[in-house]
Amino acid sequence: MGMINALGSGAEEIWPRLLTGDQSGFGVRDDLARGASLIVGEIQTPLPQIPGKLERYACRNNAILLAALEQIEKPISDVLSRFGRDRIAVVIGTSTSGVSDAEAAIRHQHQTGELTKSFHYNQLEFGGPASFVADCVGTAGPTYAISTACSSGARALATARSLLALGICDAVIAGAADSLCGLTANGFSSLQVVSDKITNPYSLNRNGMTLGEGAALFLCTRDSEGIQLAGVGESTEAHHMSAPDPEGRGAEQAMRSALSDARIGGEAIRYVNLHGTGTPLNDSMEGAAVARMFPDSPPANTAPKCSSTKSLVGHTLGAAGAIEAGFCWLTLRNADADGMDLIPHVFDGVRDPEIRTPPLVTPGMRVPCGPVMTNSFGFGGNNCTLILDREFP
Amino acid sequence: MIAASVRSWSAWSPGLDDSSAWRDWSTDPRELASGGRPDASFLPAMLRRRCGSLARIMLTTAFDCVDADEIAEVNTVFASRHGNINESIELLDRLAEEKPLSPTKFSHTVHNAQAGLFSIAAQNRLPSSSLAAQEDTFACGYLEALTLLERYPDRKVLLVIADVPPAPTFAAMIEEPAGSYGLALLLGVADGEDSLEFGISAASDPGESRAPVWPDAIEFLRWYLCGEPALALGQGRCSWHWKRSGATGT
Repeated sequence: MGMINALGSGAEEIWPRLLTGDQSGFGVRDDLARGASLIVGEIQTPLPQIPGKLERYACRNNAILLAALEQIEKPISDVLSRFGRDRIAVVIGTSTSGVSDAEAAIRHQHQTGELTKSFHYNQLEFGGPASFVADCVGTAGPTYAISTACSSGARALATARSLLALGICDAVIAGAADSLCGLTANGFSSLQVVSDKITNPYSLNRNGMTLGEGAALFLCTRDSEGIQLAGVGESTEAHHMSAPDPEGRGAEQAMRSALSDARIGGEAIRYVNLHGTGTPLNDSMEGAAVARMFPDSPPANTAPKCSSTKSLVGHTLGAAGAIEAGFCWLTLRNADADGMDLIPHVFDGVRDPEIRTPPLVTPGMRVPCGPVMTNSFGFGGNNCTLILDREFP
Repeated sequence: MIAASVRSWSAWSPGLDDSSAWRDWSTDPRELASGGRPDASFLPAMLRRRCGSLARIMLTTAFDCVDADEIAEVNTVFASRHGNINESIELLDRLAEEKPLSPTKFSHTVHNAQAGLFSIAAQNRLPSSSLAAQEDTFACGYLEALTLLERYPDRKVLLVIADVPPAPTFAAMIEEPAGSYGLALLLGVADGEDSLEFGISAASDPGESRAPVWPDAIEFLRWYLCGEPALALGQGRCSWHWKRSGATGT
């Protein structure tokens, strides 16, 4: 798995910062949203240069993707020689694609009458990032983008598993990338869902999301060793274009289907990476859905511990499902015979008595080894829950 | 090869709005027209107002393809190369002019906006995917539909693919056949005689293939209606193959 976000680049850098609840990745940008300073989770790591032959894909979003791709170059070159280029698929989730570069190009067009010389439509279109990855590493299997807003990254992994099951390919490079841009900064601001402080999920004082950016890429194969995508659950809401069902029925359906797909009961789940955007509505509906899914009554107290990692890296939108699956992957990978360390839920500690708050992970918490779950809920009412598992030592 | 069967279909392009028009077209195919959009009068006025051209094309073909009593019971895949790109570019123009964005317009520029509108119109709460794949958008949409049949073999999948060309400045940067169009296919697991087998092979020699005159989705429809045994599509990384069950050769 390769990963980049506001906390750094690569698992070795990001994992310890997640465990300590490091919020140092957040900074202020004055130029993103019209007339406002925004706190954002911006990537600080210098990004790689797009190769000259792929100039038409040269945009920030693809540079972010390339940073994650470079981290898994070796295993990709292994599967290329093992299976051949025609047997490797690429499925990339994105909701922004290269819109930040298109913004600069269009601003230039308004000033001079012409788009910037470096701009190409391939940077803007949703299918661009997948083609960019395929052309970078030379794969020639099915290559496409999944774009279902904030569940894109989770859905890309679900598709990867099915492509392998269908036998249409032998390996899939799957994941997602999204980048900060004026469109999402102004768009979410216009919906009044952006926080003026670092997002504060599940707090009484929560007042919105903090935008972030990043990428996570997995190399998926049929190997039964290693970390498995054990469950996929999906639902749509038939409710509203930009707001979830307040009861969280769609969220609950996604979690329930994922458990059923994984053939396990709720009591088996050890950790849930919440969608936890910090908007008043998300946290109240997700909290209610989690409470129905995982009743936490004594003496059993079997409900899994939960955290939102959006107060550490921001809401990376189309990439969130893949990045947060990556956090679950790291949780499992770093497990040992005694248990697994969980990523703490970082907020101001003030609970909201009006909502159902799941059992939150506190700093330093360890739990027995077991499967983990991640939730992604998107605009247009598109929900996807994934369960990851492995054989433990 | 992976088998599936087409249970029903519906298509739209300017001037081609029922199955007999498409059957005629398939015997004398020609370039598709751009512009225009279906009236989508079956949608409630409130919802119709929020539907741009692409949403009207997608929802019209979707509702034409599937019976009313089944429309909430199918999984869905919405495929489009360009999505709402023209609406997104309008928002980028507003940003360049330092004007505020409309929250409604912003929430309708996501690539799965049409899927969201369909879900509301059909009261469908089942799994739904939205994708884009440049010149391979139709084949990848078909493949994504097969992935939903793999996960949920008991439920049919409605594949809807449609595109409206981007504004000329952007369209000039890419090569693709002209025309606005939509195609809906209701796919189920293979049921004997009527099924289609789908597979992928290495790209054919680029010298052998000619640039398509109409979109791949519509070439698929032409092939499906004409009864030819096999179809190959794809100009890029790989070739996509369909074969009627029982047909020989490729």
